[in-house]
Amino acid sequence: MTIEFIGEDQREALQEVANIGMGQAGASIAKVLGEFVELSVPQISAVSAAGIPAALAALAGDGVASAVRQAFLGELRGEAIVIFSEHSAHDLAELLACADVLDGPAERELLLDISNVLVGACLGGMAQLLRTTIGFSPLSLLADQVPTSMLLQADEISARCALLVEVRFRLEKRAFRSHLVMLMADDAVAALRRALDRFIEEL
Amino acid sequence: MTAAAQLGETCALLESLVERIDVGIFAVDRSGTVALWNTFMAVHSGKSSAVVRGQNLFTVFPELPRPWLEKKLESVFVLGNNAYTLWDLRPYLFRFPNNRPITGGLAEMRQNVTFLPIRIAGGEVGLVCGTVFDYTDTALAQHKLHDAIAALHQEKDAQAQLIVKLEAAQNQLLQSEKMASIGQLAAGIAHEINNPIGFVNSNLQTLKKYCQQMLQLISTYQEGEAQIGNVQLRGELSALTQSMDFDFLQQDLPELIKESENGLLRIKKIVEDLKDFSHVNKSDWQYADLNAGLDSTLNVVWNEVKYKATVNKNYGSLPAVECLAAQLNQVFMNLIINAVQALDESRGMGTITLSTGHQDEWVWVEVKDNGRGMSAETKKRLFEPFFTTKPVGKGTGLGMSVSYNIVQKHHGRIELDSLAGEGTRFRVWVPVKQTSIAD
Ligand SMILES: Nc1ncnc2c1ncn2[C@@H]1O[C@H](COP(=O)(O)OP(=O)(O)OP(=O)(O)O)[C@@H](O)[C@H]1O
Ligand SMILES: [Mg+2]
Repeated sequence: MTIEFIGEDQREALQEVANIGMGQAGASIAKVLGEFVELSVPQISAVSAAGIPAALAALAGDGVASAVRQAFLGELRGEAIVIFSEHSAHDLAELLACADVLDGPAERELLLDISNVLVGACLGGMAQLLRTTIGFSPLSLLADQVPTSMLLQADEISARCALLVEVRFRLEKRAFRSHLVMLMADDAVAALRRALDRFIEEL
Repeated sequence: MTAAAQLGETCALLESLVERIDVGIFAVDRSGTVALWNTFMAVHSGKSSAVVRGQNLFTVFPELPRPWLEKKLESVFVLGNNAYTLWDLRPYLFRFPNNRPITGGLAEMRQNVTFLPIRIAGGEVGLVCGTVFDYTDTALAQHKLHDAIAALHQEKDAQAQLIVKLEAAQNQLLQSEKMASIGQLAAGIAHEINNPIGFVNSNLQTLKKYCQQMLQLISTYQEGEAQIGNVQLRGELSALTQSMDFDFLQQDLPELIKESENGLLRIKKIVEDLKDFSHVNKSDWQYADLNAGLDSTLNVVWNEVKYKATVNKNYGSLPAVECLAAQLNQVFMNLIINAVQALDESRGMGTITLSTGHQDEWVWVEVKDNGRGMSAETKKRLFEPFFTTKPVGKGTGLGMSVSYNIVQKHHGRIELDSLAGEGTRFRVWVPVKQTSIAD
């Protein structure tokens, strides 16, 4: 099914906001981690609820992965999910000044901390461009080392469909790779549309 | 009220709120200097606001994980977003004693900490405010829950194991019931056959006697044949004698009777063996001759064996053994059938060697074949119920598990020696007397 959430103009505006927002985010993440981060061009798509798990699995590829979720609140409401492919977070322990040897809880904390930085930077950057403020909830671990097809179960999803903005992160010289997915439920997209219209007018 | 007075009142209200609230609140600037330290923090750390304020946080609390926490604070200053620590991943940030000095539980207070960016006049983030929530009670409850769930899981696993055992036991019961009813059937048939054998045998004895008498009579007549005057009658007699081949008939008749006698004897023996094997009337412990048991078992399965293997016997002299004879016979049968089934038919007739022996208070019965032998995996799983390497319909995989249990019941053991490609040797050891073993 095709889902018409936003008009063509709004879509273009969202793409631009995402591009600029991610650019700024990259800079602030680099400041925090002390290393240059590569961000992909954000991909925007609309998916049905049933399609979300498959979409996440497609992003994460084969094998096992972990995922962290965080809600964002305010005029723009939704959830961000950060997907880590197997063990890719180990690599970052040093960057966040963690112990070299990570036990289970320490490793999960590291995933949460990194997610907090990525989500905060990216969504914060976009919110700033859209002249709105968003707050964040504490994070929680959605899935810990599960097959990618099981990151999220379709029956756990309450929205009918969602707007999905996806960005990939890479660090030069490191194996670390992750995906950030921003999901907004259909009924929250109206607010986004208004914010985008404002953004277009101000251009 | 003037605006200034109103502001002052609001400030006083906020200040008393920060002091009274049951949450730890502190703030540091970018250099780590403490700008705020509320009562909760003072009470739990034992360091008053007057002592802590203006000092570097890490100087006052050297046990804090400094590089990590600095990084965390820095991320809040840079990004302007909240950051968190959760008690289930990092039990505490500040080492505070818990609030249960009497009732006990966890040694340190479990904490969730949220770091909030405070922007001075809406601009840059000037301070990071930490809020420390006491999660000790939640942690304790969670621990209890974890323990309960673990206990439940354990119980569930134990039950699952029990169910598996039960199933195995039930299957063994079925198998031994099957064997018992086969035994009963065999005994019934044996009994039924015994009757006709009885009268056929006695008739045959009478028949034998009559035949001898008739032959005697005829030979006497033959002697008188020359004295018959009637030429025509003499010619007829000699033609008849010739066409009947009477000489041969006279010779063959006793032999036929002898063969029939032998046949009857064999039938009687098989019937005996069937009865022995099934031991219908004796399901209790009894003293039995295992050599005889082995022989009667071999006879029962002889049809399966005779075209595939030559059987060598190597019996020692054995004392009578206290046993459930029918069940031990069942063990021998399983071993013999397995030995036959293990033979490689492409190599022609195989060899099965049956040996018995006696050592101290123990006797042993051995079944050896020169068949395919077993892989390491098969050896490991041999006694598992339903473990079979045979095609569907040929093996149920119960033979050895049933045998194991029978030998176990006799306080005995089964020794195994097998080499893939070479053959297999099973030796069953059982004590002569059960009482000497019972304890
Ligand atoms: N003498 C032997 N030589 C080689 N393998 C054997 C021998 N005896 C048993 N085995 C192996 O052990 C397995 C289990 O034997 P068991 O008697 O329990 O079951 P089965 O013979 O397969 O079936 P069932 O006896 O119930 O008809 C056999 O399938 C076979 O692989
Ligand atoms: Mg068998």
